[in-house]
Amino acid sequence: MKPFRRKGDQLVARLVDAEADIVNLLLDQLEQLLVADAADSGGDPVLARLLPSGHASDPQLAAEYRELTEAGLRSGKADDLAMVRATVPPGGGEVRLDAEQARAWLRTTNDLRLAMGTRLGITAETEPPEIDPSGEGADDDSQLAVYYWLTAVQGSLIDAVAAGRGDRR
Amino acid sequence: MPETTTEEQSALDRPWVTVVWDDPVNLMTYVTFVLQELFGYDEATATELMLQVHNEGKAIVSSGPRERMEHDTNRLHAYGLWATYQRDA
Repeated sequence: MKPFRRKGDQLVARLVDAEADIVNLLLDQLEQLLVADAADSGGDPVLARLLPSGHASDPQLAAEYRELTEAGLRSGKADDLAMVRATVPPGGGEVRLDAEQARAWLRTTNDLRLAMGTRLGITAETEPPEIDPSGEGADDDSQLAVYYWLTAVQGSLIDAVAAGRGDRR
Repeated sequence: MPETTTEEQSALDRPWVTVVWDDPVNLMTYVTFVLQELFGYDEATATELMLQVHNEGKAIVSSGPRERMEHDTNRLHAYGLWATYQRDA
């Protein structure tokens, strides 16, 4: 991966083929999660984190908020996801984003990290894994490696977008 | 019709607030970026609020009528921040 850099009005990165495949796979998984019926997936901590409660302690207020906003929140996330998918080069290559696409990438990579982070039980103390594919817990370690890879992708995009905003002032 | 006591009246007058809670996944730079993006805070103000979230576990990021706090909470949820709204304590 070549991290995101600002080039004029655009944000540009480069993904190798395996990275493009991983992004597409993660997008597919997120898409399935977003169309899941809340009743069927009741208590799923990942869905609960992506579609959080609006009120900490008042169940009636929380229910009203959910009624008012959940459908829109889901469809906004689905729109972002479709926009991101359209910019991932098949087989790897350059990712080139305008300002609107960059915001869709920021929100979607954040949702992917929230989903993975919740599944993996990430805490403030979690550290990147030392990859040992033959060792115990190799699967969790590789998931964690993907999580930290996404963190680097999103981090570079945040910095590139924020730097551009500073320039415009 | 029951009379409203002074205490109840002042509870009704209190504004609503939107609270952002600390989260182990969201990057500090991302939280700062989102607060600038959604509320138009300058970088110093947004950074200060982000650090308050990080160090104290939560921060009030906006206040006003209930409907606007619902809307702010919704906009923060669209960006994946962990936010709630409530009547100001």
